[in-house]
Amino acid sequence: MVEDTRGIDRTAFAILIIGVAFILAPIVIAFLTASLSYEEFVSAGGIGLNVGSSFLDNMRRIVTETQLPGQLWNSIVISLLVAGIKCAFAFTATFALVFYESRWNWIIFSLTIATVMLPLELLVITTYQIVANVAMPLNWLMQITGLAWLAEEVVGARHEFRLSLLDTYIGVALPIATSSTSVFIYRQFFLSLPKDLPRAAAMDGASPFRFMIDILLPLSWTPLVATFMFWFIGGWTQYLWPLVAAATPDAQPAVVGLAKLANTEPDRIPDVPLLMAGALFVSFIPVVLIGVMQRQIVRGLNLSEK
Amino acid sequence: MTGNAIAMEDVRKAYGGNLVIPGLTAEIGGGQFTVILGPSGCGKSTLLNMIAGLERVTSGTIRFGRREVQDLAPKDRGCAMVFQNYALYPHMSVRNNIGYALKVAGVPKEERRKRVDTAAESVGLRGLLDRRPSELSGGQRQRVAVARAIVREPSVLLFDEPLSNLDAKLRHGMRMELTRLHDRIGATSVFVTHDQVEAMTLADKVMLLNNGEIVQYAAPSELYENPATTFVATFIGAPAMNLLAADGEGAGIRLPDGTLLTKTPFRGPVTLGIRPENIEIVPDGIPCRTVYSESLGSHSVIVAALPDGQELRIATPLGRRMTPGEALSVRFMKGAIRLFDPESGKRH
Ligand SMILES: Nc1ncnc2c1ncn2[C@@H]1O[C@H](COP(=O)(O)OP(=O)(O)OP(=O)(O)O)[C@@H](O)[C@H]1O
Ligand SMILES: [Mg+2]
Repeated sequence: MVEDTRGIDRTAFAILIIGVAFILAPIVIAFLTASLSYEEFVSAGGIGLNVGSSFLDNMRRIVTETQLPGQLWNSIVISLLVAGIKCAFAFTATFALVFYESRWNWIIFSLTIATVMLPLELLVITTYQIVANVAMPLNWLMQITGLAWLAEEVVGARHEFRLSLLDTYIGVALPIATSSTSVFIYRQFFLSLPKDLPRAAAMDGASPFRFMIDILLPLSWTPLVATFMFWFIGGWTQYLWPLVAAATPDAQPAVVGLAKLANTEPDRIPDVPLLMAGALFVSFIPVVLIGVMQRQIVRGLNLSEK
Repeated sequence: MTGNAIAMEDVRKAYGGNLVIPGLTAEIGGGQFTVILGPSGCGKSTLLNMIAGLERVTSGTIRFGRREVQDLAPKDRGCAMVFQNYALYPHMSVRNNIGYALKVAGVPKEERRKRVDTAAESVGLRGLLDRRPSELSGGQRQRVAVARAIVREPSVLLFDEPLSNLDAKLRHGMRMELTRLHDRIGATSVFVTHDQVEAMTLADKVMLLNNGEIVQYAAPSELYENPATTFVATFIGAPAMNLLAADGEGAGIRLPDGTLLTKTPFRGPVTLGIRPENIEIVPDGIPCRTVYSESLGSHSVIVAALPDGQELRIATPLGRRMTPGEALSVRFMKGAIRLFDPESGKRH
């Protein structure tokens, strides 16, 4: 059968153009708006398709007058922590799940899946309590064992341990990192490796840890890089939890800082051009990352050994 | 160097409630080439893995020489293994694949280099040391796997169907090379296969397993000439030995319908075994009728029906052509007849 491939090509092309336009429109509008001055924006009476000449000026204001540059650094650190912790834990956990046989494996795996179904947004209050005092379990433990009572007798005053991680990088990053979605991806990948590989390593005298570092890690490089990128961008765009956990602007990531820019003076029209410039400024790093790592990400999520 | 003897005593292996090896006692001679042969699923790999230390024994002892090894990790046993699917490290060069065990053992770089070169040389891998496994042919990969096994100079070398992924011609070449290699390094070699040709050509001794138990453990020629049971008789040799249900009447053995097969004295019901190549076509012997005939290059195989309908495979020198339906008469060669108990299948 001979297909009318030209017709199909043309239709596909049209669909593609529509899709691209749909996705690009907000970015184009953001760019256009960011090029206006505040006065031009107000006189135009809202968001439109006017081109202005104040883009660089707006960018300069973002860099010099707002806290976004410092918060950009916060975002980088927090996202790196989120991605790093997620990948490291998922990798080691999956290693244990796949290469050690145990009757309890399915329970562990089910619990792992459960964390995927409990997003941080649902647990904000509890998480806040824990992060506000990570020594809480210690206090409980002392209460239960009677040590607290003993200490009270000896010292004469009741002592509570306090250690707050609020406003710290690790305090913001850790709760975001407690999800195990990558376990699925790594598990599929590990299962696709030759079964005799760990046995060959055992015959060669490598300990399980050595096998993980020398053989599994290099082989998993592509899925690791891909998921790392994923979680980096995921950490970058987190809003609710960093908003709660980081009260001072110095500790907030850029996305939270950006939102704060919008509502400074309640009775004034917000400086939307400045906001748009800020948005472009904040999304610059993830966009560049995706652009550079695109092929790695696609390859890594392909779920098999090259 | 001569490898350690391996002594297994009442070795059992159960997976859950499934008893795969129900108590196996055997000794594998030091420096010998022993082939473990048996049908698929009979427990060959399980046994080999227990010798290697990749699988724990459920009970029983395994000794290498004097040393009890059943509770030792693979690396402490001094044995190496070649896997069916090579199991090379895909991200490492051939040199690093072969040298990985030495690296783990902390052998200095210079010595490592020398030993890898020697091992690679001995399996004909010179010039390929910088390639990745993915850039090698199947045969070359298998050589890398062999080099990786011998580089540590193990006293016991284990092979789990290492040739089954190669084509027939390569397999033949590798068989010869493995024999030569074994003679040169003198390690105790244990080779698992379900291919009887490999077993017959490679082995000093063949351990034939069925359902996790040793059926016969002997030299290949012994297995062929004097099968201990009808299972061995049909498993070894292609085309397989003929097994005929017959009756002994004291002075001879007859088919149930009364046709005299041989004058071998025997009394009572019996399974008569005769190899296809030990049947001669003669002018006045046992009458039968050709059912089918095929020419295999070096010889032809004729399938003929005896008067009572039982089929007989006959191997004849080439040139003998029979058409289906054609009558012929045959004689069983003297001394080639093997008698088995029809109930137990054991040799009389
Ligand atoms: N990890 C395991 N868990 C449960 N049963 C197993 C396991 N490994 C093997 N078995 C069972 O043990 C029996 C023997 O397996 P084994 O792999 O030793 O057979 P084999 O003789 O090597 O067969 P093949 O020629 O097909 O490789 C099989 O019935 C198999 O189902
Ligand atoms: Mg097997």
